[in-house]
Amino acid sequence: MVRGEATQLIRDFLVWMATEVGKGPGEYDPSWTDLLASSLNFWGLLEATHVLSLMLFAGTIFIVDLRMLGATFKRTPISVLSDRVLPLTIFGLVLMIATGVALFYAKPLLYYHNIWFRLKLVFLVIAAINIMIFHFRVQRNIVDWDTMERPPTKVRMSAMISILSWILVITCGRFIAYDWYNCGKALPDWANTLQECKTSETGAVNLKGMPL
Amino acid sequence: MTMAPQDFFPHLADWVAALDDVFPGKQVKPYFAQFEVGHLLSLAVLGGSSILLNLRLLGVGLTDETPREMHRSLSVWVHIGLFGILLTGVLIGSANAERLYTSGAFSAKMVGLLAGVILTYGVALPASRNDGTLSSASRVAAVVGLATFALAIWVFLAAKLSNPGLWHVIFAAGLIVAYATRGLTRIVYLSGAALMIVAQQIMTHVVFKADDYANLDPTNIAFAWGFVAWILGAATLHAVASGRGPHGGAFIKTMAFAAILVWVMTAAAGRWLAFA
Repeated sequence: MVRGEATQLIRDFLVWMATEVGKGPGEYDPSWTDLLASSLNFWGLLEATHVLSLMLFAGTIFIVDLRMLGATFKRTPISVLSDRVLPLTIFGLVLMIATGVALFYAKPLLYYHNIWFRLKLVFLVIAAINIMIFHFRVQRNIVDWDTMERPPTKVRMSAMISILSWILVITCGRFIAYDWYNCGKALPDWANTLQECKTSETGAVNLKGMPL
Repeated sequence: MTMAPQDFFPHLADWVAALDDVFPGKQVKPYFAQFEVGHLLSLAVLGGSSILLNLRLLGVGLTDETPREMHRSLSVWVHIGLFGILLTGVLIGSANAERLYTSGAFSAKMVGLLAGVILTYGVALPASRNDGTLSSASRVAAVVGLATFALAIWVFLAAKLSNPGLWHVIFAAGLIVAYATRGLTRIVYLSGAALMIVAQQIMTHVVFKADDYANLDPTNIAFAWGFVAWILGAATLHAVASGRGPHGGAFIKTMAFAAILVWVMTAAAGRWLAFA
């Protein structure tokens, strides 16, 4: 399937999800997306839980990464720290994903055409690949460096990639709230292309004010 | 009754209105989002280090290490996180001063910040440094810190439209107790909490209609107090029943519990001031 067809399929699915799912029989009945986006407190509770989960998720993964960099808990074996701390990290991640998916569901088309959301997904994938490489390759000979104050380069490299990826995920997540690159505004061509503004409700306008 | 800074310091209105036109607010304003990211990253560092330190004082988490070792490894990250929060907070606050000046949630955040500093620097850090033993000065700090925390919650409660943010504190308290309890206590505690959640959903989605705020508000408030009583009851039972361990007893555990929640409350107030 060509790329254009695939992205059109994704967009059609999101339009259906946002406008049809949960919608009553009446013409003006709201969909579940409408209800969630317009809720008095529920959306706020989801959004704030997503942000507050950073304390648990990012806060604890940073500590494990800092240990792998040799910057803290130097006397504690890495395996001990991981075994005790990672369950908390995973719980924080589950909370972040659950609230993140719900937040996406509230405004799917807005996020779909948002460059920061797309970049956030890219850095999430990089972070996930890094975790898999660490788990299946780097960690294989953990007995050799488990108790080292300053673990080998490949371990420190993995920790550095992890910290940077999560910082970039948080940065892009925060920038989603800003309308700097919203479709419909006069944007450079690369921004219109990366966000697929042409297919958005507001369309694509280049910096010369011309519709693309 | 509102408790926004403007209610306590009305004579500062003109000064506050001009803050984003002078240093540093004027310089920060174009980079507001970037400084916000710094604020969030600092929150993560402070939150993560504070959670691990206080969970150890609660007798859970990284129990392979002594509280003293936790202090040795984590205190610097607590300092870095708090410094980052204060620095970026002052800078973004100076660029957004009028919004904060009229917000009751901001008052709650500031009182919560004070309580967090007292409970962390007056109690949690000294207690972990001394392997769970509290000096007389720390006991005084504990009482002052708890009273300040209670005041912060009261101010948050009074912040209309922002006060649903207190559900985050209740949720976090519930999670900590679920994590700290074991065996039958945990099963009974979680079962009771699950029953209350189901009952609340039935009351707010079946018994009362979605727009019936006259009944929904008091129902949700009643359930909030019910959850608080259930969680605090379980926490008290756990702290007393687990007895005095080698690294502190019920008092230390209570303070560690509060020292995590105070940062959750402060962060929640900070987030909810954006919604109201």
